[in-house]
Amino acid sequence: MTVTDTGSPNKNAAEPVSWNFKLLAQNDLGGFGGMGEGIAVQIAKDGRRIAWIAHESGPKNFTGVDVTDPRNPKVVVQTELPTTHMRSNSLDLSGDILSVAYQTKKVGQQPAGLELFDVSVPEKPRSISFFDCSGPTSRGVHQLWFCDGEFVHMASGAPDFKPSHPNDDQFYRCIDVRNPSKPVEVGRWWMPGTSATDNVAPPPRHPMDKGYRAHNTNVYPQRPDRLYLCYIDGGMFVMDIKDKANPKVISHWTNSPPYTGFMHTAVPLFDRGLMLVTDESTENNASDWPKLVWILDARDESNLVPISTCPMPPVDAYKDRGGRFGAHNIHENTPVPTAWQSDQIVFGTFFNGGLRAFDISNAYQPKEIAAFVPAAPKGSTIGAIQLNDVYVDERGIVYTVDRFSGGLYVLEMDF
Amino acid sequence: MNEIFPSPAAGPLGRRLRRARGARVPVTVLTGFLGAGKTTLLRRFLGTPEGQGTAVVVNEFGAAGIDDALIRASADETVLLGNGCMCCITRSDLQEALRRMVIERDRGEIPDFRRIVIETSGLADPSPILQTFATDRALGEEFHVEVVVTVIDAENGLDTLGWSSEARKQAILADRLVITKTDIAGESAASALAARLRALNPGAEILEAVSGDLDPTRLTEPVTIERNAFVAEAEHSDGIGSFVLTQDSPMPWPVFARCMDTLIALRGTDLLRVKGFLDVEGCRGPVVVQFVQHLAHPPVELELWPDNNRQSRVVFITRNILEKQVRDLFAAVRALV
Repeated sequence: MTVTDTGSPNKNAAEPVSWNFKLLAQNDLGGFGGMGEGIAVQIAKDGRRIAWIAHESGPKNFTGVDVTDPRNPKVVVQTELPTTHMRSNSLDLSGDILSVAYQTKKVGQQPAGLELFDVSVPEKPRSISFFDCSGPTSRGVHQLWFCDGEFVHMASGAPDFKPSHPNDDQFYRCIDVRNPSKPVEVGRWWMPGTSATDNVAPPPRHPMDKGYRAHNTNVYPQRPDRLYLCYIDGGMFVMDIKDKANPKVISHWTNSPPYTGFMHTAVPLFDRGLMLVTDESTENNASDWPKLVWILDARDESNLVPISTCPMPPVDAYKDRGGRFGAHNIHENTPVPTAWQSDQIVFGTFFNGGLRAFDISNAYQPKEIAAFVPAAPKGSTIGAIQLNDVYVDERGIVYTVDRFSGGLYVLEMDF
Repeated sequence: MNEIFPSPAAGPLGRRLRRARGARVPVTVLTGFLGAGKTTLLRRFLGTPEGQGTAVVVNEFGAAGIDDALIRASADETVLLGNGCMCCITRSDLQEALRRMVIERDRGEIPDFRRIVIETSGLADPSPILQTFATDRALGEEFHVEVVVTVIDAENGLDTLGWSSEARKQAILADRLVITKTDIAGESAASALAARLRALNPGAEILEAVSGDLDPTRLTEPVTIERNAFVAEAEHSDGIGSFVLTQDSPMPWPVFARCMDTLIALRGTDLLRVKGFLDVEGCRGPVVVQFVQHLAHPPVELELWPDNNRQSRVVFITRNILEKQVRDLFAAVRALV
């Protein structure tokens, strides 16, 4: 056998990859294509399908895109943030009510909190209410989960919460929005030791110290009494929220140390007794490598056992492409009619590692089955794609967004 | 493993797929006698958008003499990846070549190929290549033979089919037959060849290509479920025959499995190719089955039937096995299960 010289390894590493995905369209959203980690899909009353997408940073608040024809996405509305010292990185939708998270750059700034919008006329989002979370030690809301039309579960600071360490300012809060014009907090929980008023010692700082804060706060109708809470450097918690006023820890799992913290999302796969848990890469050039999608045996929710991780491409092929490389958001089987549901396929975004899909039929041996790594989008300051979030609608259309400039990519599964 | 973490969304045979290859790398087996025009066809294909990201494996199969020498010479100059990257491979050990390609791709040492074309040497019987993907579990999980294309030149093809049993087998096992050099041979020769090919392999699509000019999708697209089923009974001089086993009611999987076990045990070498779609009891979609001699590809359940016709349709290409014998076997087993 002769294999001709293919040159040095990775000589083609920066080439775009499109394997078992078909790109249907890209839209840079009017030049404001730096997108956050919130995508939701609405079927409007007139039948149009609107994708609501959060921006990673200002000046835009959120963007509504008509994706009825996935090959021709059209911006129908793009709203402005009121100040430059804030961002709205997360959103979620229930029916025609859009909930948006407001986080300020520094503690003590405003507006920091949760705003609800009526988007029944997508072109004209109408504010219903604002729930203030600002305070002397609060930056407001980083992430929220709103699927049942009743409660917003979120990672937030509060005016009456003083963290024991400045990096630990956001904790779990449950907001009753059954009367959307008057949101009311009904429950909260923080990791013991992270409040200055706690009687237990603060947790030890991690080497990279990303903070002991709440991140994703997922609740599913299969177990409405359970909260799947990721807590960045604190790992993840399965919480009993049957009594929303008194959340209780059922179990805790962390991979760090020796891993480098920033646990991000936990998605239970109820029928299979499995759980997906992701880290987030937050450092450039993969200096916080490895950041992975973990698969846990969750048959006994009080004893979570990691059994595998989704395979990643070689770090050496990606770490120097620019920006971050590693796990971040996954499709969360959002319990709404417009979300695709699967306990056999995992979709994840990996910054410059693009969008990847994994077959986890054999949970012990996840297998990559599709990848999409587009070229650096126009306007990229780092010279590489940074895919930040992914959502799959019930048609199987895949939406993924770039963190800096590429905006929205609409794809079709081809596997 | 699925016993521990079963998914109610999975079928009895595992995750339902949108198509038979699932997410595996598609493989085109390009066969045909020396001088038939395989390389010309391939070069044209590599220049098309459909050919981008294609890795070509030139398979020697221990061919000797002039044939071997020419293949080597040809391989040395062949640009094997459609995107312009070089990755020349000639190898008698196909399995090792493919395994190595997967490893090197995963390491980022060779370009990220999206399709494999295996170009066989002129004398090759395609059966061992098809078997490769069933014998090697690792390869079977990475690759899927999407289509077997056989190239026959109109000038010499009829003659070659007359004297060479390998040439006949190439024609019989093909999903598509491409007649080349019709501009040189003339229309009547091409028609005569087409008629002979249709007699040998009534199910295959027959196409013409002059100077390699062929719709590139004919080298990539799998044959449709309908075409797979369209095989009239044929009898060939080598004792090779083909027929379609059909059944209108759902078939219990154990019936099919037991029948095939029996056929393989008793006459495996004479089962040249068996492929088709089954309506299996308990399965929502059609189950794709494929056998090459004594080897079975893992069955795959598709998500959907392409139409309302849920009839099981399995094509048998056999040597000295009569259709009636197979039908009687299925009937007997079915009565017992």
